[in-house]
Amino acid sequence: MPSMVELVQSLVNGVGIGLVYGLIAIGFCVIYNASGIVNFAQGVFVMLGGMFTHTMLVRLGWPIAVSALVSIVLVAGVGVLVQIFIIRPMWRRKAPLFAIILATLAVQLLIEQIVILTMGDQPRTYPDFTLGGPLKLGPIAISYQLFWILGCGALMVLLLTLFFNYTRAGRALRACSQNREAAALLGIPVNAMLMLSFALSAALGAAAGILITPTQYTAYSVDGPFGTNGFIAAIIGGFGSAPAALIGGVLLGVVQSGAIVVVGAGYKNVVALTILLIVLLFFPQGVFHGRGKRA
Amino acid sequence: MRSNRIMTLRASTFTKLGSYGYFTVGGAIFIALLFAFVFIRGGYLLTVMQLAMIYGVFCVGLNFFMGYTGQASFGQNAFATIGGYGTAILCVQYGWEPALALIASMAIAGIASVVVGYPTLRLRGHYLAMATFALGLITYDISVQWTSLTQGYMGYAGIPPLGIGPFTVEDERMKLVCLMVLLLIGLWISGRLRNSRFGRALRAISTSEPGAAALGIRIPQYKLAAFVIAALYASAAGSLFAHVVGFISPEVFGLQMVVVTFTMLYVGGIGTVLGPAIGAVIASLLPEIVRSTGRFQDILYALVLLVLLIYVPKGLSALSSIGRPRPVEPSTGN
Amino acid sequence: MALLAVRNLTKRFDGLTANSDINLEIPEGSLFAVIGPNGAGKTTFFNMVSGFLAPTTGTIEFDGEDITNLRQDKIAAKGLVRTFQLVQLFKGMTVAENVEVGFHLATKGGVAAALSRLSWFRRQEADVHAKARELLAFVGLAGKAEQDAELLPYGQQRLLEVARALAAKPRLLLLDEPAAGLNTHETDALAGVIQELNRRGTTVLLIEHDMALVTRIAQRIAVLDFGCKITEGTPDEIKRHPDVIAAYLGTEEAAHA
Repeated sequence: MPSMVELVQSLVNGVGIGLVYGLIAIGFCVIYNASGIVNFAQGVFVMLGGMFTHTMLVRLGWPIAVSALVSIVLVAGVGVLVQIFIIRPMWRRKAPLFAIILATLAVQLLIEQIVILTMGDQPRTYPDFTLGGPLKLGPIAISYQLFWILGCGALMVLLLTLFFNYTRAGRALRACSQNREAAALLGIPVNAMLMLSFALSAALGAAAGILITPTQYTAYSVDGPFGTNGFIAAIIGGFGSAPAALIGGVLLGVVQSGAIVVVGAGYKNVVALTILLIVLLFFPQGVFHGRGKRA
Repeated sequence: MRSNRIMTLRASTFTKLGSYGYFTVGGAIFIALLFAFVFIRGGYLLTVMQLAMIYGVFCVGLNFFMGYTGQASFGQNAFATIGGYGTAILCVQYGWEPALALIASMAIAGIASVVVGYPTLRLRGHYLAMATFALGLITYDISVQWTSLTQGYMGYAGIPPLGIGPFTVEDERMKLVCLMVLLLIGLWISGRLRNSRFGRALRAISTSEPGAAALGIRIPQYKLAAFVIAALYASAAGSLFAHVVGFISPEVFGLQMVVVTFTMLYVGGIGTVLGPAIGAVIASLLPEIVRSTGRFQDILYALVLLVLLIYVPKGLSALSSIGRPRPVEPSTGN
Repeated sequence: MALLAVRNLTKRFDGLTANSDINLEIPEGSLFAVIGPNGAGKTTFFNMVSGFLAPTTGTIEFDGEDITNLRQDKIAAKGLVRTFQLVQLFKGMTVAENVEVGFHLATKGGVAAALSRLSWFRRQEADVHAKARELLAFVGLAGKAEQDAELLPYGQQRLLEVARALAAKPRLLLLDEPAAGLNTHETDALAGVIQELNRRGTTVLLIEHDMALVTRIAQRIAVLDFGCKITEGTPDEIKRHPDVIAAYLGTEEAAHA
């Protein structure tokens, strides 16, 4: 049985990773609400965020802020490319659902392979944004990176809320989410909105990846677990609002961290996936009854 | 005389062609020729064909659930994992006869699919896709983590070839023939079930659940039956892989398997009897064709798949229906 | 003897009352119609009776048995079969195969039977095969048995749905706007089929908009408006009823307003 200290520590760690899951989850929601597609390749953006930032930071020697911002913009670009060259043509040809899901899985494989070819298959990491030891509250250690995650996470949610509520593009995107045909009839450029949703989603994923890398590592293979965990968080949150997705992520992160302490690190994905199954079966509309569209 | 026989043969083939489609008949002939070629030529191609047969079995099963019943399952590889590891452990650790171990693993997979399917199949669309995907991820993780049972990442080696009692299938050509026979049996079962009350009920569910329910078809039970059948086939495929190759690891039954088998189903045509088998063979050849590109082969494979998905979203077999009459859209109500 | 008895049937959706306290009895052997302007709640009513929607309050009795919360397939198994306003054809199957599915309730046999094909099963399959074509002939689709169902023109798709429903040997057949989208010729064919199968003993309950069709073939009509049953009677009584005329055409004052 783990000690109280271990449990509390795991809670703290869990909040950090959970917020990151939440950011990925918001990305899922944005695309799903705008287009009805679940982008099974979401994890790829997380991975690219970390990988690009590492390359710029370590190989090119750029400062972290510049590396992070440039990476986010680049990954957003990748998202837009995926939308233009893969999702949109399939949508126009009325491809069946499973074909689109298969395509997003194939994109994941493709990008993974390209990354292996160009950047190698070795895991890598970079230091916390603020160097220095963790903050100690008694026996509990809170790494500085956690504060960065909290801060940036809060900032991004704030920016998103402002965007969706107070900008024309944001409101247009919301209109698209609620009723695409009506939005089109009102003159909203639906194609541009879909591109925007992919760009936003990719940016969120990249930011999540950039924030979490210092606490673990990044490699071509992290896209799978991050994508899956982000999706689980989105389902717990109900595909509705951003706060719900964040809470879903935190819940998942905390339970997963606790599970690591109790059953060991290896089974953490099994735990997460079992949670997923339980939520899908007993709370089909998400624990928070999101107002997002049902599949 | 001889020319008369040929004429009569041609006539009956032609009427059969009508209901099977050019793609299916062409595909079947192509596979028969390929089989003969590989059999004579031998060597590395034998292995490729063997794997194609094994994937074919898996896909015929998947077709039950995805094709006939119209549901999406992205986690059938979970049952292949059970089949593969089940038979490996029973044979290597407990000294079972391979053929019996295969059947026993199928039974385990069948029970697992009932237990898992009963709650899961209440889901639909993306939720069903994700839940089934999770199954595959769970079995992957367990096969990696439960090292005392599965040897984890190292994989499980020393699996005996298929056989029972004094009969073992060790020669590569014998393996191919054996697998072909098993695939044909699987196809026969599939066809038999499709054209029966059971098959019609499944196909009704795939196109209109309200319509099927209004005619008294118990949808949950039928979906579960299709799911279990798919699981049994998947388990058999997993076991066959173990016995034919002699070595398995978690990677064999991982995400690659999901993508590859879906590709096969998609290429060959979902919902037809022969489609999955044809798709399995064609899609098994594709990596061989791109193999010559060396480091780029995985990228090329993914690219080719993507191009196919974008430009032929309903699958290659749909190409053969170009020129057939199109359905009429109703004038009101849609 | 009432085959179908609906008592105090109500359906509320979050503030909208689609059906309010409906009481209706359908006698066995009758050809009964439910009419009403758009939005009157007719399809909601049908969906509740056939198990596709759960009532908020009220009961539905079929042949003396309470079927209020039964699942759709169980209701069908008791002899209550419906068709749909938006035709629910089984695409990817031929016209004859669609009807063969209809025989599901009247036949037996699952995986084991399909694989072993014992003689009883083979006889049953041949039987279904033949009877399906008989039904197709009955509704006038005899030559189309081997065609892909989705290639049928719309009017014939509706007839196919009726044939398919008949295969399930219904005691009560619910037809949801069967004449929607049909031209006069097709409507005549449909009317003939409905009357004939009623003559042969099937009770029919239909929702319709086409007043001409309804007054021609129905023995008894109930009128819904705003979710309530406003009246019930023979076609002649209904045609002259002031409330019915008001519901469809509006009152004098509203017309001049």
